[in-house]
Amino acid sequence: MTNKFELSIISAESKVFEGKVENILVPGMVGDFLVLSNHAPCISSIRPGFLEFSEGTSDNQRYFVSGGIIEIINNMVSVLVDSAVAGDKIAKEDITNLISEVNDRLSAEDTINKDDLGLRKNDLEEALKQA
Amino acid sequence: MPSLKDLKIRIDSVKSTRKITKAMQMVAAAKLRKAQESAERGRPYAEKMRDIVSNLASSVKNIAGDNKFLGDGSDCKKFLLIVATAERGLCGGFNSSIVKLAKSRIAELASEDKEVKILTIGKKGREQLNREFESLFIGHVDLSNEKNITIDTARKISVDIISRFEAGEYEVAEIFYNKFASVISQIPSSYKLLPVSFNEKESDASNVSFNFEPDEDEILNEIIPKSIATSIFSVLQENAASEQGSRMAAMDNATRNAGEMIDKLTIDFNRSRQAAITNELIEIISGAEAL
Repeated sequence: MTNKFELSIISAESKVFEGKVENILVPGMVGDFLVLSNHAPCISSIRPGFLEFSEGTSDNQRYFVSGGIIEIINNMVSVLVDSAVAGDKIAKEDITNLISEVNDRLSAEDTINKDDLGLRKNDLEEALKQA
Repeated sequence: MPSLKDLKIRIDSVKSTRKITKAMQMVAAAKLRKAQESAERGRPYAEKMRDIVSNLASSVKNIAGDNKFLGDGSDCKKFLLIVATAERGLCGGFNSSIVKLAKSRIAELASEDKEVKILTIGKKGREQLNREFESLFIGHVDLSNEKNITIDTARKISVDIISRFEAGEYEVAEIFYNKFASVISQIPSSYKLLPVSFNEKESDASNVSFNFEPDEDEILNEIIPKSIATSIFSVLQENAASEQGSRMAAMDNATRNAGEMIDKLTIDFNRSRQAAITNELIEIISGAEAL
C-alpha cells in the first residue's frame, strides 16, 4: 500500500483537479521528476508538457500543461498552471497553435526573453511528439 | 402651466426611460452574478500564488540576492499609475471615484517632486484623465472588445507593464481599481504592484527550507510576472463585478426616480385635465345663462 498525498491542480480560471494521489510525474524546468508522498519541501517551475499522476485505482491520468509552478510542502502538492487540458482531450492542433503563437512572438518582438521563448518552443515540440 | 399634450408627451418619455433603466438594471444583475462567479473561480489560484510568493519570500530573505523585482520602492522617483476603469458609463460613481482617487495620488506625488506616468485600462478613465494629464500618458488598454475578461488579457497587460519596468520607464507601479465589497458598496482602492516587497505578510512556513529548482532567482523571475498577471486579473475581475454592481444600484435608483416622476406628472396631468373640463363646463353654463 502506497501512501497517498493531496494534489491540487489549479489554473487561473478554475480548479482543474483536486484529490489524493499516489505519485505525480512533473515536467520540471530542469528535467522531469517524480513526486511521492513525504517529498521534501520544494518549489519548482514547470515547462510545457505532460503531467501524469496516479490515483492508485485506475490508469494514470494525464494533463497537458502549458507551464507553471509547483509547490510541495507537507504532503500537499499544489500545481499552478497557465492552462491545463486533460491528456485525452488535447488535440495536436492545440499544441501546434501554441507553437505558432510562440513563433509569432519570436518573430514579432525584439524581446529580451528570446532564449526563453526558444526553449518553450522546444518543449512544445517535444510535447507534440508525445501527444 | 404646460398644456395637456405637453404633459402627455413628458409622461410617455419618462415611461420609456424607465423601461430602459429597468432593463439595464436587470442586465447588470445577470452580469454581476456571472462576474462574481468567475471571480470566485479565480480565487484559489490567486490565493495559492500569494502563498507561494510569501513562502519564497521567507527563503529569499536570508539570501542577499538582489532580484530586480524586489524592493520596497521607498526612494524611487518615477511612478506609474495604472488606472483601471470601465469601458462604459451609466454606472453611478464607479468611474469617477477611481479617477478621483488617482487624481489625489497624482497631486500628492507631484507635490513630492516625483515623476508620474499614467496608464489607463478602460475608456472612461482615459477620457476623464486626458483632460488634465494628457502629457503624462504612456499607454492605454482597450477592453471594449473583451466580453469576458480572460487571464490572457491580464497577461498581455502584465507583459507590457513588466517590459516598461525592465526598460526603466518607471520604478514603482501602483494600480487603482474598485474593490468589490458588496453589491451596493464598492471601495476605490489602490496598491503597489511593483516592485514586490515581501515583508508585508508573515509567512506561515518560515521554518521550512525549500528546495528550489532551478535556483531562487530564476524562480522569482518566473513567478513574479505570473503573480503580477494574476493580480491584474483579479483586479480586472473585481472591477467588472463592481461595475455591474454599481450600475445595478444606479439603474435601480433611476428606475425609482422615474417612477416618482411619472406619479407626479400624472397628478399634474389629471389636475390640468380636470381644470380644462371645469373650464369648459363653466363656459357652457354661462353661455346657457346668457341665452
